[in-house]
Amino acid sequence: MALTALEATHLSYSYADGASALRQISFSIAHGERVALLGPNGAGKSTLLWCLVGVLRAEGTIAVGGTVLRPGTEAEIRTKLGLAFAEPEDQLFMPTVKRDVTFGLLAAGVSSQEATQAAEQTIRNVGLPEGTLERAAHELSSGERRRAALASILVMNPVVLALDEPTNSLDARGRASLAGILLQLPCAQLIATHDLEFARALCARALVLMNGELVADTPMAAFLEDTNSLQRYGLIASLRTDDGQTRVL
Amino acid sequence: MVRGASDRDVLSRARELALAGLLGALGLLLPIGFHALGWGGQVFLPMHLPVVVAGFLVSPATAVSLGIVVPFLSSALTGMPPLAPPVAPLMALELTAKAGAASVLYRTLRLPMWVALPAAVVADWAVLALAVSLAAGFFAIKASPFQYAWAAILIGLPGTILQLVAVPAAVLATERRVPRLRPRKRHGTG
Amino acid sequence: MPHHLDLYLKRESTLHRLDPRAKMLAVAGFIVAVLLAPMHPTWPMGALLVLLICAAALARIPVRLMCRRVLSLAVVIGMPFLLSRLGGEATRAAGEQFAARSLLVAAVFLVLMASTRAIVLLEVAERPPLISVFGQLGEFILRGVDLLVEEVMRTNRAWALRAPTATVRVRLAGLTQASMSLISRAAARSERIGAAMVLRGFQGKLPTATPTPLPWSHMAAGVAFALASLCVAGLGRWR
Repeated sequence: MALTALEATHLSYSYADGASALRQISFSIAHGERVALLGPNGAGKSTLLWCLVGVLRAEGTIAVGGTVLRPGTEAEIRTKLGLAFAEPEDQLFMPTVKRDVTFGLLAAGVSSQEATQAAEQTIRNVGLPEGTLERAAHELSSGERRRAALASILVMNPVVLALDEPTNSLDARGRASLAGILLQLPCAQLIATHDLEFARALCARALVLMNGELVADTPMAAFLEDTNSLQRYGLIASLRTDDGQTRVL
Repeated sequence: MVRGASDRDVLSRARELALAGLLGALGLLLPIGFHALGWGGQVFLPMHLPVVVAGFLVSPATAVSLGIVVPFLSSALTGMPPLAPPVAPLMALELTAKAGAASVLYRTLRLPMWVALPAAVVADWAVLALAVSLAAGFFAIKASPFQYAWAAILIGLPGTILQLVAVPAAVLATERRVPRLRPRKRHGTG
Repeated sequence: MPHHLDLYLKRESTLHRLDPRAKMLAVAGFIVAVLLAPMHPTWPMGALLVLLICAAALARIPVRLMCRRVLSLAVVIGMPFLLSRLGGEATRAAGEQFAARSLLVAAVFLVLMASTRAIVLLEVAERPPLISVFGQLGEFILRGVDLLVEEVMRTNRAWALRAPTATVRVRLAGLTQASMSLISRAAARSERIGAAMVLRGFQGKLPTATPTPLPWSHMAAGVAFALASLCVAGLGRWR
């Protein structure tokens, strides 16, 4: 087994108009480790995730489970690194949940029977009820859609699970339920999020992006106590309310 | 790191399929919307709008496939246009000709939109006239098929005008939003 | 598992349980029979109508619903028929032929769609190599309909709040603008959906499940219906 689950070395990416989105980002994640990817809007979190799965071409080196991303290894990388989108609707593109969840396995040549069994097990693992596979995605609530999208990735047993803003539109119970599912998973996780409490509950380490640069790679607990750093990196902001008090958001 | 051509092709194919699916879905929904507002489908040709737009945004093969699938799928899901009498097959021929011509002229031959769109409309009329004359022979209908085709063209004139106005606007707006969809080396603006 | 657009009628019936491939075979045979059956004598068309009614009864389709669905085609079938009455004998005969055959073919499709989910038919259509691209595209369109209906409902609610007494002209402008906005948003969305497909292993063609073997009893039922229809048509022509 490779020493690290995910390794990124000197990653840089620029948009078509030349604007730099990522600059010389290097980090690694060990097997089973959960790392939060923090940063304000526009920091480059989503761009970094897209580069890791090879949809955007970045300069530098990316290795997942020992496989280096290069022409010809994209499919293998994408099997090992699963990415959960911020909008689960974009990942539920088939008419039924079953077709979505079995898609990856069938594409990999697994038999229908095995794919269906694996899909049923994964659906149970993410806390969705028995009949979910036969339903259409639009019949699910937003929390259920997120879990169905997650199931479509977890069924492939990825080495690393990357999540982009996983708590979007989830209420407190939904967030707690999702956290419970993620805590059970053995794979390494890279969680891009604005939700500091969610990050605190799940991750022992934080990578902080700002303007496309990795400005901090630090233990989570101490980092979240440092309000000056949090404010400097745009992760919290102050608000003066009507009663003259200053609140932190 | 350079992503291989095959991976880029696969990604492009996936995006094209997804786009065709969404535009095809609009081709099913717009007629329902128009009917709900009491605006005749045969007059405003609402199914044609998104399929013709798709012709300008996807490859000829996908455009032709979409032209075939949309009327039949609409018939299967809503009952309209009907399979018998063969309105759905005739519409499939029309849409295939129109969307396919648009794609070939605009994306393959890189002709400007003000040439490609009218040419696609004319291709549609030509195929309609030919298809009706063949169908008339099959059903032993003695009336002139050209009269039917001419009547269909006249009745659908408001829809044709709508397409000539709305399609370029929709295509240009989409190309601005997703620059990747522009055909390379444009010869002129639409 | 209802999709936003589907003629499927949820029932527990023999026809609903029948394998879709057998049903498609039966429908194909029936359509050929309708096209071959003579108009005179009238008994072959009558016999085909009886077969159709039996199929509808097997599917437990309510009579009223069936009539309503067939009547929705009244304009498309009725207008040419009525116009043909103004012509000579040959034109009137052609009009009768047109109406009778169109009604039967339309009705058998309605029975098929009422007893079979559209998604199931699309999955069958994905397997034969020549037409698999149509089945694939159909599946994407079906999902696209569900996605867009939700988006249209959201837009409609916003529209109702913003312009509850809009005139027809304003509604037309709004519908056109909304369609154009939907088109460009669909394009942006397709970029993400395409990426999602590739991330899940898409290699140019949608993966399909291995088809289950067609049970011989289902095949026999489909073949029997098709043969019965063809025999009726054949006997009518021969006599």
